[in-house]
Amino acid sequence: MFPRFLNFLPAAIAAATVVPVLVLLYFLKLRRREQPVASTLLWKKAIQDLQVNSPFQKLRRNLLLLLQLLLLIALLLALARPVANYTPGAGARTIVLIDRSAPMSATDIPGGFTRLDEAKRRAKDLVRTLGRDGAAMVIAFDDSAQTVQPFTSDIPALLNAIDSIEPNDRPTKLESAYRLADAQAAFTSEFFVRSRQPPDVYLFSDGRAQDADKATVDGVLHYEQIGTSTAANIAIVAMNAKRDYQIPTHVQVFARLANFGPDPVNGVQVQLSVDGMVRSVATVNLLPERFSEDQRRAAIAAGFSPRDSIEFPELELTGSAIVKVQQMNTDNDCLSSDDAAVVVVPPPKILAVLLVTDGNFFLERGLESQKLKIYDRMYPQEYLQLPDSPDGGKKLPKPYDVIVFDRVTDLKAQDVPKIGAAVYFGCIPPGLKLQAATNPDGTPKVFDDNFVLDWNRDHPILRHINLGKLYVAHATEVLPTLDSQVLVDGTNCPLVVLHRENQAIHLVIPFDVIDSNWPLSSTFPVFLYQTLQFMALGTDLGVQPSYTPGTAIRIARSAVEKLDPQIRSVTINGPAGKLNAPIPPTGDFVLPPLNKVGLYTTDPPIPQYENIAVNLLDDTESNVLPADVAPGSGGQVTPVAVAGARKELWRWMVLAALPLLMVEWWVYTRRVHL
Amino acid sequence: MAITTATDRLTLLDSGFMAKLDQLDILSRKMLAGKLKGERRSKRRGQSVEFADYRNYSVGDDLRFIDWNIYARLDKLFLKMFLEEEDLSLYILLDVSKSTDFGYPNKANYLKQVAAALGYIGLVNYNRVHISAMSEGIVADTGAMRGRRRVAQMIEFISKLQPTGASHFGDACKRFALTHRQKGVCVVLSDFFVKEGFQTGLRYVAGGKYDLFCVQVLSPQEIEPELTGDLKLKDVEDADTAEVSITQPLLARYKKNLNAYCLSLKEYLTRRGGTYLFTSTAVPFDTLVLNYLRQRGLLG
Repeated sequence: MFPRFLNFLPAAIAAATVVPVLVLLYFLKLRRREQPVASTLLWKKAIQDLQVNSPFQKLRRNLLLLLQLLLLIALLLALARPVANYTPGAGARTIVLIDRSAPMSATDIPGGFTRLDEAKRRAKDLVRTLGRDGAAMVIAFDDSAQTVQPFTSDIPALLNAIDSIEPNDRPTKLESAYRLADAQAAFTSEFFVRSRQPPDVYLFSDGRAQDADKATVDGVLHYEQIGTSTAANIAIVAMNAKRDYQIPTHVQVFARLANFGPDPVNGVQVQLSVDGMVRSVATVNLLPERFSEDQRRAAIAAGFSPRDSIEFPELELTGSAIVKVQQMNTDNDCLSSDDAAVVVVPPPKILAVLLVTDGNFFLERGLESQKLKIYDRMYPQEYLQLPDSPDGGKKLPKPYDVIVFDRVTDLKAQDVPKIGAAVYFGCIPPGLKLQAATNPDGTPKVFDDNFVLDWNRDHPILRHINLGKLYVAHATEVLPTLDSQVLVDGTNCPLVVLHRENQAIHLVIPFDVIDSNWPLSSTFPVFLYQTLQFMALGTDLGVQPSYTPGTAIRIARSAVEKLDPQIRSVTINGPAGKLNAPIPPTGDFVLPPLNKVGLYTTDPPIPQYENIAVNLLDDTESNVLPADVAPGSGGQVTPVAVAGARKELWRWMVLAALPLLMVEWWVYTRRVHL
Repeated sequence: MAITTATDRLTLLDSGFMAKLDQLDILSRKMLAGKLKGERRSKRRGQSVEFADYRNYSVGDDLRFIDWNIYARLDKLFLKMFLEEEDLSLYILLDVSKSTDFGYPNKANYLKQVAAALGYIGLVNYNRVHISAMSEGIVADTGAMRGRRRVAQMIEFISKLQPTGASHFGDACKRFALTHRQKGVCVVLSDFFVKEGFQTGLRYVAGGKYDLFCVQVLSPQEIEPELTGDLKLKDVEDADTAEVSITQPLLARYKKNLNAYCLSLKEYLTRRGGTYLFTSTAVPFDTLVLNYLRQRGLLG
C-alpha cells in the first residue's frame, strides 16, 4: 500500500524552498576553495568547451550535488511524515477515551507490553496527527471516568496527559466515560463556535465493559481495539469463605475458575493458603469460555473432563485468618490480577443479647433460634429501674453486644444506651437527633396501611431478603438525619432506619411486628440474624466481604473512635504502597478508593478493618478476548481498527539519509568523479 | 597539491654528473659561422688541417696556400682551401616567469638544472654560451661566456635567478633576437604557457639564424591534475581566476586541450626546422640530459 504523507504541505513548501536554494548555491558557488595553478589558460578553454553543450550538463554530472539532492529529498520525505497503513488522523474535535481498567493490564501485546501501553501508544499517534485548528481531550476511565486533559490544541500537553494515565484493577464501565465525553463535547467554547460537527470519539479499549449494552455516546465513535484474541488467562471468578452456622469455628472455602484463553487447560493447580501457610491444593480442568456448546460437547466426548469449581476441605479456624486461593498456572497467563483471591475471616463471635419486652412471642422465638451465647429477657420496668451508667444508658448486670427494645415506649433520654448497639421494635428512642414526626397537637404521626416502596438490598442487614410483600398496619414516622440511613422505605414513611449517634448504633423499626405480616415470613429470622451480626460486628455472616477494586469503604465513626477518639489519620498499606488517609473531624470515615487487588492493612488497625481484601472476581473483567464490535453505541460507529495499524516511515527515511551522507563524505574526501 | 618553490636550496650540478657531461658536446645540425677560432667547423674557409676545396688563384692571395703539385701538372695556379674551425654560440633562453614556480618537483628548479647542464657542456667545449633569463622581457643575461673557467660564474648566475613576474614571451624573444645576432644553437627552456600565444615569441627565434631547440617542461600536477570539488583556480602570474567544478568530463577536456596545445607547439617548430622536446619534472633530470637530449640531437 502506498504510504500517505501526514505533513505533505509543510514538506512541499520546504522542498520548494530548499531544493532551488541548493541548486542556486551550487550555481553561484559562493564558497569556492582557491587553488593556485601555473596558468588558467587551458582550464578556461576546457570550461568554454564544456559549456558549449548544455548549462545543465555540469549539474547532471556532478556527483556531489546529486548526492546532496538525494540527501535533501530523503530528509524532506522524512519531514513529510509518510505512514503505511494510513488511518485518518484526529479531526477538529477529538475525544480520546483510554481504558485503564483491570483487563488493560494484560500483557498480551508483543514485546511484553500491556494493553494500556499499547492504547497509550496508539492514542499518542492519533494525537500527533492533530491539525493546527483541531482540539482534543483525553478521558481515562474504568468504572468511573476522569478528564485527564480538557480540550486543547497543545499536542505536548495531550501527550503528557496520555503518559500520566496509570493502570488500576477496577472494573470497566463505559457509561460514565461516554457521559463525560458528551458533556465535554456539549460545552461550547471558542474551539467549537467554528464547528458544530459531532466530535470524533476514539475509544482505546479491549471493548469488554459491564454496561456495553447500555452506554451510548453522541458523535462518531471510533473503536480502536486493543489486545489479541490469542491471549490466555485463567482467572478465579468467584471465591468465598463462610463460617458454619452450627459450628462457627469451621470455615468452608469455595472457588470457581474460568479459562478465557483459546485452548482447553488440564490440571490447573489451585492452592489454598491460610495466613501464608499452604493448607490444600486442588486441580481444575477448564474449557475455554469462548467455546460454543458444540465445541464443549466435542471436547468432553474426546475425553476432557471439565471441572471449574472447588470446594476445599473444611478449615478449623478459631481466630481471625486471611484465606487466599491462588491458581498456579501462570506461564502464559497474561493477566495477574485475577490469579489470586483473598478473604479475611474474622474470629467467630457468639453474641450476647438482652431483650427488653413485655412479651412478644414472635420476637422471643426468633431470638431463641439464633444460638446466642447469652440471651436474657428483661421487662421494661426492670430495665428502667437499673441504675444509670456514667457513660449513658443503664448499668447492665452483664455486658451485652446488642440490646433489643420491644415496644418500650416509656424510655427516657438517659435510658438510651450511648455506647454499643440497640434495636428498637415499635418504639423510638428519645433524646437522639433521630426523632418521631409529630402532629400539630404534639402526638406522634402514625400512618396506616404501609407497604414497602424500596429497600437497600446491598446492606448486610437486608442481604438475601425480599421485603416486597411486607405489610405494616401502623407505623410511626421518624425523621432521618444526616447520620441516619433508611434501610427500608415504606409507601408512607421509613420502615427501618439505621442511626449512628455518639458511640452507639441504633436500628429503629418504628412499628410493632405484631401489627405486620413480617413475623410469619421466612425473612424475619434471617433479618434478625443479620441484624444481630451487623449490630455486633458490622458485617454479615461472620466473614468480612472482599471488596471490588475501586470501592471506597465507609467506616463508622464509632469504629474509629473505639480505637482512639483523638485519631486524625490512618495509614493504609497495600499493593499500591503506603497511603495516608486523614480522618475528618465529624461524620463517618471513608477510605480512599482501593484501586489495586490484594490485601490492605490499616495502621493503626481499625477494628473489623485491620485487613481489607480487594479481589477482581469478575468474569467480565477477566475475559481478555477483545470485543469485535464497539461497545455501546454512538451517533456513528466506524469499523474496528486493528492493532498496530499505522506505521510511521520517517525513521527509515532518516536512516536512508545517513548512508547518503557517508557516501557524500567519502566522495568529497576521496575525489571521486563521475 | 604539494608545491615546492624555486627558493629551495638546490645543487644544480654535482661533480659526478659533471664528469658525465664532460663527454658530451653541443651539436648543431647547421654549419654555423662562429666568431673566434674554435673547435667547430665553420662555413668559412680557414686554416685548419682539413681540406675543403680548390679555387683559382687571384691576385693578392696568400702564396702559401697555392697547390704546387697541381701547378706542376696543369701549369695553372690553384689555391688550396681548408675548413675554418670556429667556436659555436649556444643561446639558452631560460623561462623564469612566475608560472614556472609550480609543481612537484618544481619546474623552475628543473629548468635551471637543465640550463646549467647545457651551459656546462657548452663551456667545457669552448662554445660561446649565452644564458638569458626571461619573464617580463629579458630580465638577466650572462653575456658571452667561454671556457671551463666560466662555469662557476654561470652556476652562480643561474642559482640567483628567481621566478618572478608574468611571462611576456613575445617581447622577450624579440629582445633576444635583436640582441644576439650571431648564429648559434638556441635552446628555449619553458613551460610555454603563454596566454598571447607561443607563436608571438617563437617567430623571432625559429627558422632563421638559430638552430632552435624547445624543451617544454611541465609538472605532473599539470599533466594529471589531482583537483576535486568546486574550485577557484588562480593564475599565479596574473591572478586571473577560473571557477570550475571538477568533474571527470572537465578533467578529460583539460587533458585533451593540453595534448592539443603541445602538439600545436611541436608542429609549429617542426615546420620551422626546430626541435621540440616535451618532458615532465617527474622524469629525472639526468635522464633528460643524458638520454633524451642526445636522442633529439642536441647533445652528442
